This record gives sequence, structure tokens and C-alpha cells, in this order.
Amino acid sequence: MNLESNVPEGPLKDKWSKHLNDIKLVAPNNKRKHNVIVVGTGLAGGSAAASLAELGYNVTSFCIQDSARRAHSIAAQGGINAAKNYPNDGDTIWRLFYDTIKGGDYRSRESNTYRLAQVSNEIIDQAVAQGVPFAREYGGLLANRSFGGAQVSRTFYARGQTGQQLLLGAYQAMMRQTHNGNIDLHTRHEMLDLVVVDGKARGIITRDLVSGEIKRWMADAVVLCTGGYGNVFYLSTNAKNSNVTAAWRCHKRGAGFANPCYVQIHPTCIPVSGDYQSKLTLMSESLRNDGRVWVPKEKEDDRHPNDIPEEERYYYLEEKYPAFGNLVPRDVASRNAKIVCDKGMGVGPTGRAVYLDFRDAIEREGEKTISEKYGNLFDMYENITGDNPYKQPMRIFPAVHYTMGGLWVDYNLMSNIPGLFVAGEANFSDHGANRLGASALMQGLSDGYFIIPYTIGNYIAGAELDKDIDIKHEAFNEAAENAQSHIDKLLGVNGDKSVVDFHRELGQIMWDKVGIARNEEGLKQAIEEIQALREEFWQNVRVPGEAANYNKYLEFAGRVADFLELGELMAKDALHRDESAGCHLREEHQTDEGEAIRNDEEYAYVAAWEYQGVNGQLQEKLHKEDLEFEFVELKQRSYK
Amino acid sequence: MAEEFTINLKIWRQAGPDQPGKLVDYTLDTVNEHMSFLEMLDVLNEKILNEGGDPIEFDYDCREGICGSCDLMIDGRAHGPKAMTCSCQLHMRNYNDGDTITVEPFRARAFPVIKDLVVDRSAFDRIIEAGGYVSIKTGSAPDANSIPVDKQVADTAFDYATCIGCGACVAACPNSSASLFTGAKLAHLNRLPQGEPERKKRTVAMVEQMEEEGFGDCSNFAECEAVCPKGISISAIAEMRRNYMKAALAGDEA
Amino acid sequence: MPSFLTALKSQVGRKILTGITGIGLIIFVILHLAGNLTLFGDYQAFNVYTYTLESLGWILYILEAGLAICFLLHAYIGISIWWNRRKNRPEGYEKYQTKGGPSHNTWASRSMALTGVVILVFLVIHLANFKFADTNMITLPNGETGRNLKAVVMESFQNPWYAFGYSFVLVLLGLHLKHGFWSAFTSLTMKHKKYSAIIYGIGIIFAILIAIGFLFIPLYIYFTGGQGALIAY
Repeated sequence: MNLESNVPEGPLKDKWSKHLNDIKLVAPNNKRKHNVIVVGTGLAGGSAAASLAELGYNVTSFCIQDSARRAHSIAAQGGINAAKNYPNDGDTIWRLFYDTIKGGDYRSRESNTYRLAQVSNEIIDQAVAQGVPFAREYGGLLANRSFGGAQVSRTFYARGQTGQQLLLGAYQAMMRQTHNGNIDLHTRHEMLDLVVVDGKARGIITRDLVSGEIKRWMADAVVLCTGGYGNVFYLSTNAKNSNVTAAWRCHKRGAGFANPCYVQIHPTCIPVSGDYQSKLTLMSESLRNDGRVWVPKEKEDDRHPNDIPEEERYYYLEEKYPAFGNLVPRDVASRNAKIVCDKGMGVGPTGRAVYLDFRDAIEREGEKTISEKYGNLFDMYENITGDNPYKQPMRIFPAVHYTMGGLWVDYNLMSNIPGLFVAGEANFSDHGANRLGASALMQGLSDGYFIIPYTIGNYIAGAELDKDIDIKHEAFNEAAENAQSHIDKLLGVNGDKSVVDFHRELGQIMWDKVGIARNEEGLKQAIEEIQALREEFWQNVRVPGEAANYNKYLEFAGRVADFLELGELMAKDALHRDESAGCHLREEHQTDEGEAIRNDEEYAYVAAWEYQGVNGQLQEKLHKEDLEFEFVELKQRSYK
Repeated sequence: MAEEFTINLKIWRQAGPDQPGKLVDYTLDTVNEHMSFLEMLDVLNEKILNEGGDPIEFDYDCREGICGSCDLMIDGRAHGPKAMTCSCQLHMRNYNDGDTITVEPFRARAFPVIKDLVVDRSAFDRIIEAGGYVSIKTGSAPDANSIPVDKQVADTAFDYATCIGCGACVAACPNSSASLFTGAKLAHLNRLPQGEPERKKRTVAMVEQMEEEGFGDCSNFAECEAVCPKGISISAIAEMRRNYMKAALAGDEA
Repeated sequence: MPSFLTALKSQVGRKILTGITGIGLIIFVILHLAGNLTLFGDYQAFNVYTYTLESLGWILYILEAGLAICFLLHAYIGISIWWNRRKNRPEGYEKYQTKGGPSHNTWASRSMALTGVVILVFLVIHLANFKFADTNMITLPNGETGRNLKAVVMESFQNPWYAFGYSFVLVLLGLHLKHGFWSAFTSLTMKHKKYSAIIYGIGIIFAILIAIGFLFIPLYIYFTGGQGALIAY
């Protein structure tokens, strides 16, 4: 597997401009002759499709939802970072870069992360010009706020709906190009395979989710913008339809899957209330500014929280981290919630929750002030749980939120399969082992608006693509038959256990053993359990209905089948990475206080896995891209 | 653990676009107050599957009220009885043991049924396609702070921009009008300096497309505002009318 | 850009026309009620009023033509909206109800076409019974000879069918105005939320006043057998 990162030479700050000077261009009149497929219409896919179409390429775009406006980017609440330094608090591109790479615990590629910080400012310009209604000051200029992991105010926001507003901006730009005939948009289409001809990505196979028809699409390049794989945990803050299938099928065609074990777990979500639970709802992290996190000191204390006296409450974050207190980074907060629950101090009917208490804040500032700050969040909480957070503490618990791992890409965001580009959460590139708040939107849009449109031209101009192939080519036949037979196989099992049950069981294994904290024994067990579950799946799953119809359970069955393989790879990756880094905490490698201990000597690399088949076990070969840090010094994170 | 209770359901089942549909009775006796409405349907589907039946198809994705996928007519109201709520945010604690709930798809000529409760809302996309954007190319934007925008204008633009495109406005409107959807996007873009240059063209194009898609007239029922999960005001519709007539009166004059 | 005419034919234009004609009709209704109230004046006041009106000659014809256009256009657009309603939702809901709150979706607003058509039919009867009625001639205080319409009114409303039929239609007119008054302003692009609420309130008060004003006359005449102290007859 070729893991040449293709990072340009030169000083960090000049790499991108130098690269732009050096890359090949496609002449405007020739762009029409080139087809580009963009899969997914989230921030990365929407912005890439729109920008490529504006440049003149023929873009064919696909999404699984009924509209290009619904991808899960829409749910991002907090904001988007940029190094504009409008508040004049000393922010620079370097600081944004440094915070991001440090936040990622030094497991991302320096050059990519720096470029992300560089183009961040252009994203804000672009969004404002599109009419994205960011928050403003009374003077009419843009407002900023601070966000976790940064000492400056660099986050632009549109109330709690920043993702929605940015996505609608990209969607609208995309619809403009659709109207002009430059984008051929296909909604309710799911990518089931990648077509590789002569070693190059030349097309995809999709299933029309309404008619069930298997269709073939040819192109000169394929851009995968299909998001993260958090739903391998069954319960996550991801949308129900978010899945790994497109990326996983590319992986099976030879694309390296990098750092699959890096999963971000968000500390403030509404806890699970029962088996029927279908997803977890995020409560904004801002709540930790005023809420105090605690559990009863006594195990399995079933008193009402308001009846537990002050001296019997364990404010574990404040006690362990006096400097940051309740505001420690996401991974630290999540990990500590798990620790106290594992000790039996968890609260609520399941014992898997901790209190987030606003009593003192309400006493100090008054109910009115607290309501002004968090009223909508409190209402949302009460709507979901039926409890009033003004009267009793909220119950919260961590939940899977974002996946830093993804398909391996080089500096051009191209995977190791030439012509297959990967953008947004679907790639592994910019966040290392942990993503900072308000950076996901930045990365998706930077990839789609400002990187892919240039690097794809460079590829196409030099690719020497075979012009004589069409969708009747043998490779298309093989891929289409492969997709069809996979569906037939799923429908043919005719077992008696539902897809949801398999998914829930997989999620439980992942959460218990490949979740917040991992250890060798647990990971080995997880691998065995996943293998057994996968085996059972193919013998006993029941998929109702038929292939040639709208059939959501069939869609899910295909996705769960892929999750059952990915889950094993994640456990394998977590097992092989015998260090702690960012969100990946190996219990064998932590300080006495439970802090992650990195091993830069042996693990400062990207682990890219090569698929080699499933034979009871998932066969994957490890390849390494060493991470070289020319410009930053590696330090141990500390939030004491 | 919360106690389980029983809910009777009458759910619209329709095998395909041009097939006849009907309400089918179901009873679910394992409902608990913490379930969302869609989770209740998930549980019902598992039960139907266990009994060898065909599960009920319905659209959903984020399940936190922002993607706009879910679209159920619950007891004759778009997204159910609660204001400012999507179907996915409606919880079963709003119901009592023994209640009967009727569930139908969002109905309109412009929203043909695909299967059961799933409808095709692509007409909305075509309205946006007609003009719901600012025509700028990637990379050509001036500095974000080069044009100050009155905070109140920006905040109001945001209020209109919160539309999630779920289609409840159309479903609940006695006339199946898409005026609130169209008006909201126009009210968002038309009031911002960035959207001003295309105001006339955009308004005319989107209004015409809305009509072409087969959405009905607006008779100012304001039911759309009542069912809108984001509470978007029908002022958007009045504003759309004003901009449309102004554009027509001005003709091609600059 | 669409031509002005094309714009008027659009959904938006049609609502604008409905609003304009509606406001024209509202003005007519106000004037009509004011005229009717002359019944409570001295013995001949009503006949003097109708005589004066009829002696306007060609001015009256123009006003009447304008009024007729308002009526017909208003009715045509209203009925076509009602017709499209069925077309645009071919399969109706098994169960349908309003969500309340800011909604003005009531029986009154949903039945604008129905109440409108009833009012239209009534209008024809009303014109035949009064405007084009055969009447005795009477000498007016100013010495001129005019139609004794007051007698027609007084006699008609002592007939229970006519008195109650008329009253029923005027209740419907009240309901029509309850939605129509505010709706006309909204159609004519009144977008300010605060004023919108005020106008909605004014609309309801207006509708009630108009209904009471019109209803009082037939009911009073009927229940007093034309002998009431308020009307000199």
C-alpha cells in the first residue's frame, strides 16, 4: 500500500501556496469533459459538489436522504473556528493550528492541520457572502465566542444551529448548480461499491432506495464525503442513517482505513432510558460553564438527588482537576464519568449517569439569568426526560459523537486508490486522536470548498484516464453483481433475529470494550465476540420485504453487516495501539490520576489498514505513515 | 423503570405510489413515557417483524428535530399535538393508557406518497433550485466583516433561515400551500445585503416554481405557523407578496 | 420579470386582488349599514336616503359597476381557490384538526367559499326583493315623489322566513368578515407582527359590529311587529 503523503517541501506556512503554484490545472473548456462523482451532501459533499460544478466539471452527486439538505452536518450546534482575530485577542493561524494539533494529541499530519487553519478564514468569508446569518454585534460586525480547548474567542456561530446554517449555505450553492445543469443530483441513492479500473477509481454502484434498482455511474474521479462511523456503537449522537458503508466498501476495494480506533465521546448527553432507545441527544457543552458534575459518595444511593446532603456528594471533576474543574476537555470528562459509574456511584434507573447540577448557579445568579443562558436546553431536557432541571439536577452521560479515523488520504485528500478522494469526517486527516470543538464544520468546509476543487484538477490533468471504458466494462459488471449478490444474500438468510437486535448487541460490545477506556483483555474479547456475532448475523438475520422496493430494513442490514466488520477493525486497531492518545485511552497507559500517557517513540504514526478478506476473522494488514513533527514540539497534555 | 402502557394506533399503509392505501389498526402494549413517538413506531415495527409482517416505512434521520426528515400527521396535526416540535421530539408521556392515535402521511398533490408514511418532498428542492441562494462563486467572497449587517436584521434573517424543510406547513394547510416554506427562504435572503442584488429575480422565480409544483393558494389560515417546528412567522408570506408585486410593478427597470 | 397582468394571475396576485376587492366590499358594507340605520330616523329618512342615492344617476351606475366587479372578481377567485384546494390534495386526511396557537384555521376561515357563496345567492334575492322591488310611490318631504322602500322593508321583515333567513345570512357575513378583514390586510402584504395582531382584533370587533348592526333591524322589526318605538312607521 502506497502511503506517500505528498506533502510539499518548504516552510509550513508556504506549503499550501507553493502547492497551488505547482499543481496542474485543467483548462476551463476541458473541465466540461470531465465527470466527477461526489457521494454525500453534508458540509464536505455539498461544498465540494457546488465548487467543482462552479469550476465547470460535470458533477454527479448522491445522498441517501430525500434531500441534499438533510445530511447530519445539520445537527452541529456550537460553531465554526477561524483565525480571523476579529476580537483582537491575539489569535493567529499558527495558534489555531497549534491548538488543533495539540488537542489532537499530536497524532495528525502537521501540514494538513496547518492548511486547515490557513483556509479557515476564507470559509467565514464564503459563508457570509452566501447569506449565512452568523451572530453579530450591535455594530453589525460578526460576533465570536470561546470554545473548549482554546484561550481565544475564535468561534463563529449562528445561535445553536451553526451546522444547519452552514449546511444550508452549501446546499443552496449546490442547488444553484443543479438548476444550471452542472450537477446531476440523485437523492435516496446509496453507494454500494467503488469501481476500480486499471487501479484507478472510475465509478460507483448505487442502489436507488425507492425502486431498489442497482445503477452504475462512471467518472474521472470519485469524492467520498460520507461522514463518520459513530453508529457502529448503535447508540450515538449521529443521525440514524449515518453509516460506514460507502467508506467500508472502498476499503474493501483497497483504500486504507486509518486510525479507526479514534472515536470522540461527548460528555454531556442525555442518558439511555431503555432498550427501545434509538439515539442519544447531545446537550451543549456550554452547560458545564455553570453546572456542577457530581455523584453520590455512597454506592447505589437511590435517594432523590435533592435529598442528598452536600457532604455526601462527590464533585469528582472539581476535586481531581482543581484548575479546570468542570471544564476539562471532552475526553477527560467522559472518562471520569465512566470511572465513577463503574465504581457503582452512577445514578438514575440504569446507574449509567451522573448529575449536572445547576442549584448553585441558580442560587447565585437567579433562575431568570440561568434561563436566559440555557432556557432552550433546559426545555429540551425536560421534553425528553420529563424532569425539570430548574428543580433537580440533570442526568447526563457520555455518548459517541465523532470519529477522527477514516479513509487514509494524502495531502491532496486522495486515498491510496488514485482518483478516490475523501473529504470531511470520512477521512482521517486533520484531527489526530481528538477533535476540538467547532473544528468539524471547519474541516468539512475547508476540504470541500478550498482543497478538493484544486487537488482534483491536479489529478485529472495528469491521470491519463482510459477514455474507452463505459459502464459495461467488466469492472462495472463485477461491482454491480457484487452489490446485487450482497443484497440477495442478506434477504436470503431468512433467520429469526432482527437487524436492530444485531446492531444493538454490536453496539454494546463496542461501548463496553472499545469505548471510553480500553484494555488488552477487553479488546481481545471484543474481537472474538464481534466475530461470533458476525457469524450469527449471516446465519440468523431476518430481513423483511424485497430488494426491488423501498425497504429500510434492507438498507440497515447492509450497513450493519459492514459495521460488524468495521467494529472488529476498530478493536484490532485499538489493541495494536499500545499507548494512550487523545480519545484512545488504554488503561495500561495512564497516570495514577487516569491521564493518558502517549508513547511518541513507537506510536507517532498513522495506522492505515489494508483489507485482505474475511475468513471467520477479519484479515487486515497494518501499514504505517510516520508522523514527523518539524515545527511543533510534542508535549504531554495536562488539565490539572 | 417507567411503567408500560397500551396505545392503539391507526396507521396509513400504502404499498406504493399509485396503489390504494388504508388505515390499519395496531395495538402496542409496551409503550413507556420516555419513548419518543418514532421509538414507539420502532418498537411496533419490531413487533410486526416478529409476527412475520411488513414493517411500517416512515422517514427519519437525526431524531433531534433539525434534519427535517420526519413527517407524520399525528391525529390530524402535522408533527402531533405539541407546538414547536418535530415528530421525532414528541414523547409518549403526552399520551395516556388506552389512547388511540391516527398516523397518516403528509398529504398534498406535490408530496406524492412513496410507501406507507414516506412521501416525496423533492418539490421543495426545486423551489430552492429556482432561486433560493446567493449567486457567488467559491473563493470570490470579500472579507466577512466588509459589509456590516444590522444585528436585528441578521437575527430576523436567522429566524427565517431556521426552516428545516419538513413540509409540515404544506401538510397542515387546508389548501396545501407552500407559501411559508417559500416565504421563509425569501425572507431570509432578501433582507440581507448579500441577498439584495437578486431580490427581485429570486422572489419571482421561487413564487413561480412554487405554483408550478402544484402547491395551493395561501388563504392566510396561519395553520402553517402553528405547526412549524421552528415557529416561523407568516409575516414571511406577506413579505413575499410585497416583494413579488414590487418586482412585477418595476418590470425590467433597474 | 412577469408582466403586471401575469403577476396578477399568480397565486400572489390573486390574493392581492382578493384583498383589494375585499376591502372594497368592506367599505360597501359599512356604507350600506350606515344607510340602513336611517330606518331609525324620522318617518321619511330612509326613503329620502334611497331617493338621493338613486338620483345620483350615472355616478351611481359607475359605483354599482365597480361594486359588481368587486363582487364577481372576489367570488371568482375565492371559488377557484376552493376548487384548487381539492385538486391540490386529492386524497384527504382521515383525521384533521388545527393545532391552535397562532393558527386562524377555524370553521369560519375554512368556509370562506361556502359563506361567500351563500352571501352571493342571498344578494340576488336581496336585490330582487328591495332594489328591484315594485313599490308604491310616496311624496317625500322635499316635495319630490319617490319609492316607498321603507314600507317594503317593514313588511318583509315581519315575515318570519325573511327576517330569520336574512339574519342567518348576516351571521355568515360576520363569520366571513372575521377572517376576511384581517386576511385582506395580510394579503395586501401587511407583515408587521404587532400590527397584524391589532388588525386581527379590530377585524373581530368589526365583524361583530357589522353583524349586530345588520341583524338588529330585521329582528327588531319582527319582534315588535313593526310597531317598535325606535322606528317611526
